Amino acid sequence: MIVTKMAISRRTFLRGAGIGVALPLLDSMVPALSAFGAADAPRRIGYVYIPMGMNPAAWIPSDEGRLVDLSPSLASLAPYRDQITVVTNTELKDMAYPTGNHAASNAIFLSNVKPKRTEGSDYELATTVDQIAAKQLGKDTAIPSLELCTDLIAQVGNCDNGLACAYQNNLSWSSPRSPLPAEADPRVLFERLFGDGGTAKDRLTELRKNRSILDWVTEDMSRLQRRVGAADRAKIDQYLESIREVERRIQNAEQKGSSTPLPALERPASVPENWEEHVKLMFDLQVLALQADVTRVISFQMAREASTRTYPQIGVPEAHHPTSHHTNDAEKLSKLAKINAYHAALFAYLVGRLKATPDGDGTLLDHTTYLIGSGMGNPDVHDHTNLPAVVAGGKGGRHIRYSTPVPLANVHLSLLERVGVHLDRFADSTGRIEELL
Amino acid sequence: MKHARLFVAGCLALRFASAGSPAQQSSAARQSGNSAASAIINQYCMGCHNDSVKSGGLTLSRLNVDNPGANPEVWEKVVRKLRGRMMPPLDRPRPDEKTYDVVISNLEKELDAAAAANPNPGRSETFRRLSRTEYQNAIRDLLALDVDVASLLPKDDAVFGFDNAGVGGLSPTLLERYLSAAQKISRLAVGTPVRAPASNVLVLPPDLTQENHLEGLPLGTRGGTVMRYTFPVDGEYDIQVRLMRNRNENVEGLTEPHEMEVLVDGARASLFTVAPHRYAIGGVYYADEDVDRHLKLRVPVKAGPHAITAAFIPKTGALIETERQPYNAHFNMDRHPRVQPAVYSISVTGPFNATGAGYTPSRNQIFVCRPARVSDEDRCASTIISRLARRAYRRPVTGDDIRMPLAFYKEARKGADFDTGIEMAVRAILTSTEFLIRVERDPASVAANRPYRISNLELASRLSFFLWSSIPDDDLIDLAARGRLSNPALLEQQIRRMLADPRAESLVTSFADQWLYLRNLAATVPDARLFPDFDDNLRQAMRRETQLLFESVMKEDSSVVDLLGANYTFLNERLARHYGIPNVYGSHFRRVPVGDSIRGGLLGQGSILTVTSYGNRTSPVLRGKWVLENILGTPPPPPLPNVPPLRDNPTTGKILNMRERMSEHRANPACSGCHRLMDPIGLSLENFDAVGRWRNRAEGDSPIDAAGALPGGATFEGAAGLKRTLLEKPDLFVTTLTEKLMAYGLGRGIDYNDAPAIRAITREARNKNYRFSTLITEIVKSTPFMMRSGATASPTRSASAIARSPQTGRSQ
Repeated sequence: MIVTKMAISRRTFLRGAGIGVALPLLDSMVPALSAFGAADAPRRIGYVYIPMGMNPAAWIPSDEGRLVDLSPSLASLAPYRDQITVVTNTELKDMAYPTGNHAASNAIFLSNVKPKRTEGSDYELATTVDQIAAKQLGKDTAIPSLELCTDLIAQVGNCDNGLACAYQNNLSWSSPRSPLPAEADPRVLFERLFGDGGTAKDRLTELRKNRSILDWVTEDMSRLQRRVGAADRAKIDQYLESIREVERRIQNAEQKGSSTPLPALERPASVPENWEEHVKLMFDLQVLALQADVTRVISFQMAREASTRTYPQIGVPEAHHPTSHHTNDAEKLSKLAKINAYHAALFAYLVGRLKATPDGDGTLLDHTTYLIGSGMGNPDVHDHTNLPAVVAGGKGGRHIRYSTPVPLANVHLSLLERVGVHLDRFADSTGRIEELL
Repeated sequence: MKHARLFVAGCLALRFASAGSPAQQSSAARQSGNSAASAIINQYCMGCHNDSVKSGGLTLSRLNVDNPGANPEVWEKVVRKLRGRMMPPLDRPRPDEKTYDVVISNLEKELDAAAAANPNPGRSETFRRLSRTEYQNAIRDLLALDVDVASLLPKDDAVFGFDNAGVGGLSPTLLERYLSAAQKISRLAVGTPVRAPASNVLVLPPDLTQENHLEGLPLGTRGGTVMRYTFPVDGEYDIQVRLMRNRNENVEGLTEPHEMEVLVDGARASLFTVAPHRYAIGGVYYADEDVDRHLKLRVPVKAGPHAITAAFIPKTGALIETERQPYNAHFNMDRHPRVQPAVYSISVTGPFNATGAGYTPSRNQIFVCRPARVSDEDRCASTIISRLARRAYRRPVTGDDIRMPLAFYKEARKGADFDTGIEMAVRAILTSTEFLIRVERDPASVAANRPYRISNLELASRLSFFLWSSIPDDDLIDLAARGRLSNPALLEQQIRRMLADPRAESLVTSFADQWLYLRNLAATVPDARLFPDFDDNLRQAMRRETQLLFESVMKEDSSVVDLLGANYTFLNERLARHYGIPNVYGSHFRRVPVGDSIRGGLLGQGSILTVTSYGNRTSPVLRGKWVLENILGTPPPPPLPNVPPLRDNPTTGKILNMRERMSEHRANPACSGCHRLMDPIGLSLENFDAVGRWRNRAEGDSPIDAAGALPGGATFEGAAGLKRTLLEKPDLFVTTLTEKLMAYGLGRGIDYNDAPAIRAITREARNKNYRFSTLITEIVKSTPFMMRSGATASPTRSASAIARSPQTGRSQ
């Protein structure tokens, strides 16, 4: 198992600050970049948010059942067709208000409940589906879950009419009153995952240094233990237990480190100025984190609700938000479809990276499930039905199309089941979707 | 939990006690001695607190009033209730004031005598990890290095109201963070060559208004910020500034060209012009994506701490436009947009073309010697390591102590240079449990449960972590090592020296910030629709006002009662406007006389009134609870589980005023017992809205009824009445402050065993006009601070104290 050179030597890593100098040392606990056998390959789940719904005419594949031809907006996912499932006609019912639908769309996507109407700090939502997954899947990893975004805006107070910014900013909530702020800076993310980076040799050196320091600390502790009373000895036992655990982690990392050729991990300097580069870098880091088993749960707000980002690189120099209010104008609809296709293509980049990464007896894509979607359906009227929802990973090759809308919660419930997190119900779910299990 | 239930029951008893005859006056007040107390207790208390009725779970039947020292836990509770005049209930016969005083003083005299004969100083935890704040300060004092500890270590959870109390544990994850922090810090301190440029970013709060001059920035500038950053080595660095964008990704407030300057250590490094670059096609605007891309410069910087400033050159016309706006706040494109552009972030990336470790305060402090020859190296390393270990371990060190750090040095020196060897030794010392964990160990000779005087070195640590939140300095260690620190005269001298030292600032930023809940201000975001004029400038000003008041009492060594009743406060223009106080101009804070206005003292400060409110309304409950907890020292127990929140004001029908809404609490017997203690205090502060502005009418234009009452029955009108009433019995407040300081200083909860010491401290403070330094000195000289109880075979006292919740970990 190696981290492919492509994954980490992409120029984007260094493009952010316009520098390209040699590697820093990795500072300490790089988790093992380990190989998993077929039986013990961990199951991972990720969620990608795209704002402001889609143009359904260009998004929804014409086939039903077996997925043969992907739609124009999803065409870039064609190479991975067998592991793609498109779900059409899901809804988030009765979870929004007449106003403030952009904030609501973001908030309800993973929570599937109606947010409390407030612009103050007394916001209230629900534990989101990724956090429910993290409670179980995150137990054995260094970081239970990652919450990521690409926007550096951190607005407070009013964002959308009537709803606090917390709703529009945060996809993931660990409890009804605890939004989890997302990280947009690749450098900060990298340091959380891997410390300062560095070569395999650097990393091994650092691991050994820490291990020898811990040996000494253990010695000191044991000496102290002999000099304190019985009640206090128990405390030292706890400390020693912690030290042993850290030593175990280091040994693990060392073994993996010396048995497999580890490439250099380069720390990104800062946020790339080009948005596409930024998104791809965030995807690269997600693949790395999953591959290294630092985490098994990820949520990623690829773009923000009501974003006015422009996309001149794909022939849409107009801002996303006004374009999404298409009033059924053919040209605007076509441009909205272009934006949808562009977002889907970026997602396809992630899927391709997962597919190209060996994991256990297969690829990372075999053992990972990603849902990409939006909390809004038709952005022109701000509704929350006929939502875009595409599942990548595991088995696929299906287009599930409902004639009347079903709760998005059914998708969430099924995907949780797929990664081994069993719930009887989630939010307003009415059942599981067989094809997604 | 058990205690909480008992107290709830006690509250209920207040409610259900039947109406009695008018208070009878007892002639017992004129008697003296214990039998007098006994008679009074019999007359006023035993009717409910007997074996059959057992009100509030308390019976005094089997206890001997003439020997309260035999049951201090019960009798200290009785004293507290009587002192607060919380018992007997208001609707039962109550003794007159004189009688109260006689009983209290009799009980206290007995309890104090029993405690003096058989001191129980309590047992602070044997092992206490440095809190995050303590770690940061220790690195500052040990290595002359300011680190951003929030990026290195997780935050500590507060216990007993303070984050330095619950620091017993050491999880694997935390240990990993310590290892990683030690590596980063040792490199930065020694000036190890950096292998690749890295960047660090300072991001400004999004709700910071930047239309005017900001405190701490150069005169003649507008907005912006100062980034204090420790540059790792001599070299060149890129400094880049980004501007604040609105949600449409336009640079907010950029409607015409503006000039911005970047300064390094106060000297201008560059002057930039930024101009809007925005255009429309078919009614759609395009964001000015590139307009701040050129705000970037590469400058040579010497290693060590430097200040990077980015700020705008003010434009007169724009300022006039700002003044015409209805609000002071300008940060939200929808409600009160920025009129002029603002700084979003400063980033520093580097080094490029590094030239060396340079000369830094850290290297100066570490490298006390420089080996001229290789043969001198080991001796010099040994000197360096011994000095650092002594400070880090807070005691004299032996050859055995430095054996391993020296071995780490030698190992690392093999493949590299001298400095690299020292770096490894520093890294080892910073990971040592001797540094990370404070240990208080029973001397071998001490029998189980017996109190003993802590060692001089343990005293030095207690003292420095109390007053400085940091490790002792060389003077303290020297004095302690010679066994002289416990000498009362020398101890007092040291306390005076330490309070005058800048490090004592931690009593403001760590103690006062936590005691008064100022830390919660950062997370307080009032509803923008109702309080459109709230921004980070106001939030910071509020916090600063309270900190400056506490600091002035500390520095001027005035009466701590001034915290409640000062006739002055500290204001800048923003806060003065908020309060409606005229003639205060500019961003800097200055002392402003306010006479006996309610703005003098904590109860009238925006910080406290805001942290005790909700985002959309005031909360008489939170305010009442805050006063009970932090001023009167009689916190109510936590609310019962599954209590529904107060209903929001309905949008139709009659709009209830706050007092009517609060009356819901009285309607529910499960709530009324405690809410009748909290609500009347909070309601008296209703003239302050949820961000601390004065108002004469409340939500829905309802008139404000600010009648208030204390649990003891004293009634008063409004905030001024509350303040006056509290000032009439300053001992209650001083006792609470003493308890808070003591909990913080000892890092444990305070309980009934500490009550005699706290009384003695308060008494002494009263004799010296409640001077701040007297309070501190008497706390340090007290039994709980100077002594410690030996371990018991059964669960220790401190362990059982931890198991209780903070609210109930004391006698009620």
